[in-house]
Amino acid sequence: MSPVAVPVPKPALWPVDMPLQPRPRGPLWIGVAGKGGAGKSVLCGTLARVLGRRGYHVLAIDSDPMPGLAHSLGVEEPDTPLLMGAAEKPAQGPWRLKSCIGPMTVVRRYTTPAPDGVRMLQLGKAGKDGLNPVNGSVNAFLGTVRRMHEARSLHDWAVVGDLPAGPRQLAAGFSPYARIYVVVVEPTSQSAMTGRRVARIARGPLGADVIFVASKVGGADERRRVERLLGESVELEIPADEAVRDAERRRLAVIDAAPEAPVVRAVEGLADVIEQRRMESS
Amino acid sequence: MKIAVAGKGGAGKTTISGTIARALARSGHAVMAVDADVNPMLGISLGLGMDRTERLAGIRQELSESAAEDAIHEHTIDGLIERFGEDAPDGVRVVVASRVDMPDHGCLCCGVSADRLLREIEAGGRTVLGDLEAGIGVLTRMEVGSLDVVLVVANPTPKSIEVARRAVEAAVARETKVLVVANRVTSADDLDAIRSVLGEHEMAVVPEDAVIARADAEGRAPIDLDETSPGVRAIVEISEWLVARPREKYAASQR
Repeated sequence: MSPVAVPVPKPALWPVDMPLQPRPRGPLWIGVAGKGGAGKSVLCGTLARVLGRRGYHVLAIDSDPMPGLAHSLGVEEPDTPLLMGAAEKPAQGPWRLKSCIGPMTVVRRYTTPAPDGVRMLQLGKAGKDGLNPVNGSVNAFLGTVRRMHEARSLHDWAVVGDLPAGPRQLAAGFSPYARIYVVVVEPTSQSAMTGRRVARIARGPLGADVIFVASKVGGADERRRVERLLGESVELEIPADEAVRDAERRRLAVIDAAPEAPVVRAVEGLADVIEQRRMESS
Repeated sequence: MKIAVAGKGGAGKTTISGTIARALARSGHAVMAVDADVNPMLGISLGLGMDRTERLAGIRQELSESAAEDAIHEHTIDGLIERFGEDAPDGVRVVVASRVDMPDHGCLCCGVSADRLLREIEAGGRTVLGDLEAGIGVLTRMEVGSLDVVLVVANPTPKSIEVARRAVEAAVARETKVLVVANRVTSADDLDAIRSVLGEHEMAVVPEDAVIARADAEGRAPIDLDETSPGVRAIVEISEWLVARPREKYAASQR
């Protein structure tokens, strides 16, 4: 004989203590900015690789005309920028972008594959013989890059932009589409001043989120110095790390040369912060 | 004499520019320091401090804010410098060509730009010293005869050396005298790394210096902190080299 039937509560369709996580929508666009020499490229290249390992499709955009991102990603800098193939020289007039170059074409044809599923796109790189002729079409090409923002096929991509030193590029190019700026600041007055200027533009007119990173810091004192010079707190610190210099000399990405290096660990922490921020803002 | 200082970001262009400007002024030269970077920072190395440096007006932005589109046509370059320049210690006159504080700044090539300022400014009896933006952009937009000397600053890292190599090429193509400044050198290996690429050019060596590092950290001019430190002394020597250059080179700029 069965006992008195006690109504068994039906299990909830979803455990009450596990709220449904809203899945962030839209591509993740991150700009890395700061003063020259602050460590933007190393941070940007390593961040791209870390995000790649976390399952994102990553497009790493190098818009600095000086050498930089390729080595930090772990690829050789192409001798001839792939973008050259996207430009044509009409019989009359200056170089221009070929028509009908859509966002997916850009990713398929004009990017260099890097490890961990990262693709590198170089814009307006100065070649060995000075600025290459495609430079004049870079603005047109940026228009194509901007369209990536709307392309459904690229909606699960993370786009990480290594910006040239200072605030200039923040005011143009793909920058208005970045929702998060990682502003890299060394413990010097000049670097902090640049960081303040860059953050003012990013937060103000661009309405983006800023993550301050204290870079090349040799301890708690230097982190506090960065914060004092900036006039606000930093999210996290990237320690001064001999591994970066070693990797650069060996022409390797630091994430390949020294996967356990403190700087790589710190960038993993940065990726956590970025994913968290994205979650909060979606 | 018109001098420009070029190199990778963070190589030490501004520290070297500011210290040379102060050293030249102390030895009795009339010095016009042009901050040609849209991220202007030269004021710090000249000894103006962070706050005054942040308040230095960019000529370009001042003109557009006063809504005087035609003002650039009404002013001579010297008039602009007179109006917007500031006095730094030792009698150095400093001027910021253009600063980017907002997006949508319009075409940076039109109106007052660092390029135009550096090209059109007449040295006369003065020493004009231009602290350039990182990279080689401004240099590639100079013409033959725009500049007398380019100081190319290189740190002992592969990227810095590569940018310096391109800057040297751009300067040589414009028939400008080049002095490579090997900066933040800590060892013979450091110097070899720079020499192996840039060894055929005249070179000055500035050692890594704790005084300069402290000046950077505190936002002060190295020459105000300790003018006898090895790094500062080496930069002062560069200013002496500039003054002692063969007179015929000067003659070209005096025409």
